Amino acid sequence: MRLSLADEDLAFRDGLLAFLDAHCPPQARAGRDFIGSGAADDDGVMVIPDWARAWQATLFDHGWMVPGFAPELGGRHATPLQTMLYLETLAQQGICRSVHFGGYAIVAPSLLEFGDAAQQALAPAAIRGDTVWCIGMSEPGAGSDLAGLATRAVDRGDHFEVTGQKVWTSYAMVAQKGFFYVRTNPDEPRHKGISVLIIDMDSPGVTVRPLRHITGKAEFAEVFLDAVRVPRANLVGELNNGWRITMGSLAHERGGLWVEGVASCLRAVDGLVALARRRDLAADARVTDRIARLYARAQSLRALGWKGFAAFAQGSSAPEHSLLKLAVSELQQALYECGMDLQGAGLAITDPARAEEGGRWQDSFLSGLAATIGGGTSEIQRNVIATQVLGLPRA
Amino acid sequence: MDFTLTGEQLIIRDTARNLFARECPRGLLARAWDDPGAAAPLWRDHLADWVGLAEQPLADAAVFLEEHGRAAAPGVFLPSLLAAYVAQAAGLTCGGAASVAVSGPAGLWRPHAAPLKHFVPCAAQADALVVVGGEAAAPRVAIVPATAVVATAVDNLDRLRPLYTVTVSGGIAGTQVGIAQWQQAQRRCLVAVSAELVGVGRALLDSAVAYAGERRQFGRPIGAFQGLQWQLVDAAVALERAAAAVTWAALCVDADDGDAPVASHTAKLEAGSAARHCARTALQVHGGIGYTWEHGLHYWLRRAYAGDGFMGPADYHAGCLAAELFAA
Repeated sequence: MRLSLADEDLAFRDGLLAFLDAHCPPQARAGRDFIGSGAADDDGVMVIPDWARAWQATLFDHGWMVPGFAPELGGRHATPLQTMLYLETLAQQGICRSVHFGGYAIVAPSLLEFGDAAQQALAPAAIRGDTVWCIGMSEPGAGSDLAGLATRAVDRGDHFEVTGQKVWTSYAMVAQKGFFYVRTNPDEPRHKGISVLIIDMDSPGVTVRPLRHITGKAEFAEVFLDAVRVPRANLVGELNNGWRITMGSLAHERGGLWVEGVASCLRAVDGLVALARRRDLAADARVTDRIARLYARAQSLRALGWKGFAAFAQGSSAPEHSLLKLAVSELQQALYECGMDLQGAGLAITDPARAEEGGRWQDSFLSGLAATIGGGTSEIQRNVIATQVLGLPRA
Repeated sequence: MDFTLTGEQLIIRDTARNLFARECPRGLLARAWDDPGAAAPLWRDHLADWVGLAEQPLADAAVFLEEHGRAAAPGVFLPSLLAAYVAQAAGLTCGGAASVAVSGPAGLWRPHAAPLKHFVPCAAQADALVVVGGEAAAPRVAIVPATAVVATAVDNLDRLRPLYTVTVSGGIAGTQVGIAQWQQAQRRCLVAVSAELVGVGRALLDSAVAYAGERRQFGRPIGAFQGLQWQLVDAAVALERAAAAVTWAALCVDADDGDAPVASHTAKLEAGSAARHCARTALQVHGGIGYTWEHGLHYWLRRAYAGDGFMGPADYHAGCLAAELFAA
């Protein structure tokens, strides 16, 4: 047990700070509470700004995109602890490394682990952001229960013919390629009979319809697939064995997925303290005690994250991490609601010229509603913790 | 940042767990409830030497105290450890069965000169008392023999750790203590009490999870019902948060890190709240059986609530944290 860092890890962090000072564009330091740039066209549909493309490429070229990877994959062979320091430093400074996480965080690691040589060769561009990827997973009838997915891929020998519908597909409107989960064997139940196909988003038969969400912006889409012809070479891994790939993501960053959420919570606490002062509420014990309790939760979750990471880095399973997704998402919502409440009747005002901090709290409140739904709902998390961490009997 | 238990801490944990399993059965709790003297052999033969943990890193003591709380151990061990931390602040050594007398009638640890002290745990079981006098800005610490005080029992929730009011005859001369030393001692005590509370919460949660797996109604274990599973999950989340906060606080206090003030208040706030949360949930999950005296769940529930109150409850520490956050 120790609180301090070893010399080589301090040097690693100093190197990162120097790089960020020299290269990080101001737009990437916006300190938004959730991933994304907020950039959108006149219809509210997300676009990837030029600065974001350039910034991701710069990170890659200097080995700071995914530090745990080799240099040819945008990394520098960082240790797990160094990766944690990297994630925490970025999060503390409110810096986002990419405005779309599917490619570098999920698709590239999956291609590297499960793909053939030609597919593995797609990874560097996915990490550098030169190719934007979307991931076609959820369907209207398969949300939390992903094994119920129905998009059908018929085996035509040299190609598959794919028909179906995906929904909540992040970045589909800006993606060149998609990583699609499809059913290749309708006779096998549930998890069996699912495969992964790479689909070029400009293929005939692919229709993307942006899906406006509760903030008014469209960052995900519905994707309609109508007899789309997909070459057999685009099959990732074995036929009917796609379920294994759903578990793939950045294994060496999995220990740090909580960092961004926890750091955003601590930034929100700082924001609440400043907001309370501006609104002359710093002497109101109801307000300050509420903020103090939120702070205690945030700091405890940070400690819990580090504790889980210590176990993770030694190769043991870390039950802490299954608790963190649940706890962080619920804390985020409590923080943003507090930020609304501190504005009194003004909590309803979203006019950027009139609302506190341009409407940050209202924006984050709305965005934060997704935190307990996406990536496994809080209800699913509680079920999983009950049976897999506490060892309670299955319902 | 490394929160893994060291080899030595693993040994402390396993040794303590075996010790309490062997020497502190539930029957002892029942006997000590009626007669505090029944806990004397546990102290004398098994726990007295462990007060030496006061000389070790706080994180080591926390590991031991978690097991102490898991057993809801009765008697003078925790008060003796707190007494040792406060004595250290004055450069004094306090061996043997001891307790610490600081609080006024509100039960908060604000040094004051009055010879009447409240919320003194196990005063009548101690051989010596570490008494804090002076004033908040200039505390004084004296070690006085138990024969030099009048201790009056005040019935309280947790009779396995009886509380007394204590009157010190002849005033509190003592040694003046620097404010930084006093604050560090106070933080050590906060973290120690918090660590015990985490253990109390673990015992309650473990017992509830085990019972939910055994007890069958409507043809299945009650632990298979979602309404009950989610209650247990929420208690577990609160408890894991508290346990991590205690580890963080122990490291910060030992390192005299700038975060030590906020970390120690966070630890007490989180641990007190979590232990109470686990107690309520455990009682609900056990249903009628947990409500009986004979079952014994109430010993842990009592320790959870009394322990939260000791040195000020979660609400008080939220106020302290708020003062820190808004001070800068």
